[in-house]
Amino acid sequence: MSEHNHEHHVSSAGQLWAIGTALLFLTILTVVLAKFVAIPPPFDVVTAISIALVKAFLVAAFFMNLYWDVKFNAMLLLMAASFFILMVVITLLDTMYRNDVIPSF
Amino acid sequence: MANHSTSHPTHVQHHFVDSDQQFDTAKMGMWVFLVNEILFFGGLFCAYIVYRAWYPELFTEAALELNTFWGAVNTVVLIGSSLTVAMAIRSAQKDQIEGLKKNLLITIGLAVVFMVIKGFEYAHKFELGIFPGEYYTYEGLEHAQAAVFFSIYYMLTGVHALHVIIGIGLIYWIYRRASKGEFSSEYYTPVEITGLYWHLVDLIWIFLFPLLYLIE
Amino acid sequence: MATAEVSNTKTLKVKRFKPSDDPKNTYLNHEKGVWAWMTTVDHKKIGLMYLGSVALFFLIGGVLALLLRTELLTPAKTFIEADTYNQFFTLHGAIMVFFVLVPSIPAALGNFVLPMQLGAKDVAFPRLNLASLYIYWIGAIFTFIALANNGLDTGWTFYTPYSTTSTSSVIWVTMGVFILGFSSILTGTNFITTVHKLRAPGISWGKLPLNIWALYATSIIQVLATPVLAITVLLLTMERTLGIGIFDPALGGDPVLFQHFFWFYSHPAVYIMIVPGFGIISEVITTFSKKHIFGYWAIALSSLAIAFIGFLVWGHHMFTSGQSAVATTVFSFLTFLVGIPTGIKILNWVATLYKGSIEMKTPMIYVFIFLFLFSIGGFTGIMLGALSADIHLHDTYYVVAHFHYVMMGGTLIALLSGLHYWWPKMTGKMYNEFQAKIGAALIFIGFNMTFLPQFIMGSQGMPRRYYNYIDQFTVFHQTSTIGSYILGVGFLLIAYYLFVSLFKGEKAGANPWGSRGLEWQATSPPDFHNFDHTPVIINGPYDYHKPMEEFQLGLADSHNGHDPSHEAVSAGKAVETN
Repeated sequence: MSEHNHEHHVSSAGQLWAIGTALLFLTILTVVLAKFVAIPPPFDVVTAISIALVKAFLVAAFFMNLYWDVKFNAMLLLMAASFFILMVVITLLDTMYRNDVIPSF
Repeated sequence: MANHSTSHPTHVQHHFVDSDQQFDTAKMGMWVFLVNEILFFGGLFCAYIVYRAWYPELFTEAALELNTFWGAVNTVVLIGSSLTVAMAIRSAQKDQIEGLKKNLLITIGLAVVFMVIKGFEYAHKFELGIFPGEYYTYEGLEHAQAAVFFSIYYMLTGVHALHVIIGIGLIYWIYRRASKGEFSSEYYTPVEITGLYWHLVDLIWIFLFPLLYLIE
Repeated sequence: MATAEVSNTKTLKVKRFKPSDDPKNTYLNHEKGVWAWMTTVDHKKIGLMYLGSVALFFLIGGVLALLLRTELLTPAKTFIEADTYNQFFTLHGAIMVFFVLVPSIPAALGNFVLPMQLGAKDVAFPRLNLASLYIYWIGAIFTFIALANNGLDTGWTFYTPYSTTSTSSVIWVTMGVFILGFSSILTGTNFITTVHKLRAPGISWGKLPLNIWALYATSIIQVLATPVLAITVLLLTMERTLGIGIFDPALGGDPVLFQHFFWFYSHPAVYIMIVPGFGIISEVITTFSKKHIFGYWAIALSSLAIAFIGFLVWGHHMFTSGQSAVATTVFSFLTFLVGIPTGIKILNWVATLYKGSIEMKTPMIYVFIFLFLFSIGGFTGIMLGALSADIHLHDTYYVVAHFHYVMMGGTLIALLSGLHYWWPKMTGKMYNEFQAKIGAALIFIGFNMTFLPQFIMGSQGMPRRYYNYIDQFTVFHQTSTIGSYILGVGFLLIAYYLFVSLFKGEKAGANPWGSRGLEWQATSPPDFHNFDHTPVIINGPYDYHKPMEEFQLGLADSHNGHDPSHEAVSAGKAVETN
């Protein structure tokens, strides 16, 4: 007979619906901001991605239960995101600076 | 006290000590796989970012061909399916097998709605001649790299849609196993890890949506 | 208590379980027949099947190399056409990188040894382990279908625009590589989870063998980098079939972008190849010095540091491709950084030897060969990382020599060391030590003769992948070719005496090397379940000053998870009662 080292977290239906509602609201928000509020670039992208990050956090923490899970699983997610960002930033170091002349030539 | 003189419950595999270790291991294994998926899509997002940084005006122009309303509907649909799959797991945790089955079916239903809307989107584009790569014939956009934008669009949404289809298959398989009474609050690991996969599909779309549909 | 976790407040009753030197029931006779092997989920059998596959692909890749070297005996055509030559070097590279070096140590030796070093019965997901083997085979089949069609002549790096327009069977190979990537990913996933969740009582992170740290770091790289390769080959395939255009300059695309995606995987891939080798070196050097490793945490954490920094240096393959000056400078700097943790390892290994009781058995001989060859390879890598030098050396034989010194002189030599070290454990047999030493000598002499002249040629301007060359390089090429034949003879000798040992080899006891490692406290060959008890660890794996009995402890009243009244295979022991 197995013993539980820790209880598996069970969210209440209310909690899950609350998160779902928050996600719905954030979706509406991001659409409204994009379509009806004139935000100068690049801040329009910044806003949209920031809202997306909040939505992603809600899904990861409360639908995927990372909030109650072992820290290592959350670390895995953060590590994946970090390496993705590194890949993009360093590639942009090339693609965005192509036309700069090498100094002494 | 003997370590394990009673036999394991049938769902516990031989190399695990107990049900908990198996569950935690399966969950960790799934998260490692999700890391994979994030880097896989990451390559595509990287291509998007590089191109958008080079040709910002292309993206603003071409985005007009994408229907923000239906993209938003699809976002709501996927978020709903994330909610229902989380409810499905909750049902399993509470031994509510009928609730589990119902929530799984609703999840599949929402996923199918997503694919149908996607299908209409693609069909509309095909009518205009917006095909990927060298098959692009649409005259409506001035920009020389218009085909490249849509190639990136098709790659991103296409690979995502493929993952949705795979997800539908997986959730249906879990539904069949649930109908055979394989799951309970003691053992619902496959439901949990399928749920994690499905949430990832939602997560990817949460970033896809603003990047493709909310460029103004 | 039903769990295997040990907290500081639990008391466990332990007793000594001395492994038998003459086991009757082992994993080799537990299930018999081809079908049993093809459907096994036993990590040990899967490891052996990987080993056999890797050996086969190494043979094919090696023959291709010998054909290339034979062609290069004369400055003009020797016996093959230029197009054939292109296909040969492409396939040699692709087979060696994807089918030999990347899987070899983790999937072959790692699969066998990792669970045993953790005191586990198997990896976390044994069925996925078997799946990874099948996926590996399917990926290989795709690649060989390409051979049967139009072959592949793009170089193993598939650079665009040539790879998008070449008439060779690019897609069969890219799909083969795509499929193969999953094999790598599944192995990595398995290892990470096993190290976290399936350790025996007492194995804290500070008591993990360094081989485990190395495999863990490797697995992290595999999981993070391989998906980017997957998307790269997928994009290449789409570029060929649909004309997507992101790599096509005529459509506003960028061929250098392909190189970024490709090398984002392929640079960390070389760390996937070498870091497990580092793990093996740590194991062998301590066993044959009978001494604690110098700087355990330095070596353990440097594996992680290499894994991390290794992700940041990929642009050093692209210094002459037209990258921006900013990126080039940053990559050069980071490339110098990545040499530091590697250097720390080399120094720590040498320091381990000091005041050790050194025994020059074959695995240890390979360790010394590794230290010499890999240091040369590593140094020349740093030299290539210097921008001004690289302008001259890029795409010359200097690069070819560099990567053969690190990949072959590093990974392959470490693989040979590990193979000779764990051979008695895997097979229960000892090989002929004298022949093995001859083999090592042939490898060392052959290797240096093949690749040292290539450094000189390269710095004098001999380009790589060239079918013809000018007369001044003839003597270098001919020396190199003769060296390659000596290498070939060396490998044949190794294959011969290892094969013979299976039938005529002296029986190996449980621990012929006197190691303190946990895998040596099981029988040779091991039981189907690795151990017939739950091992309990109280010492670190390199505590040679502690008596052997302390490394053979296990839970006193554990039946290894079996109900003793149902126990079908008793492993030759009477049922334990409390």
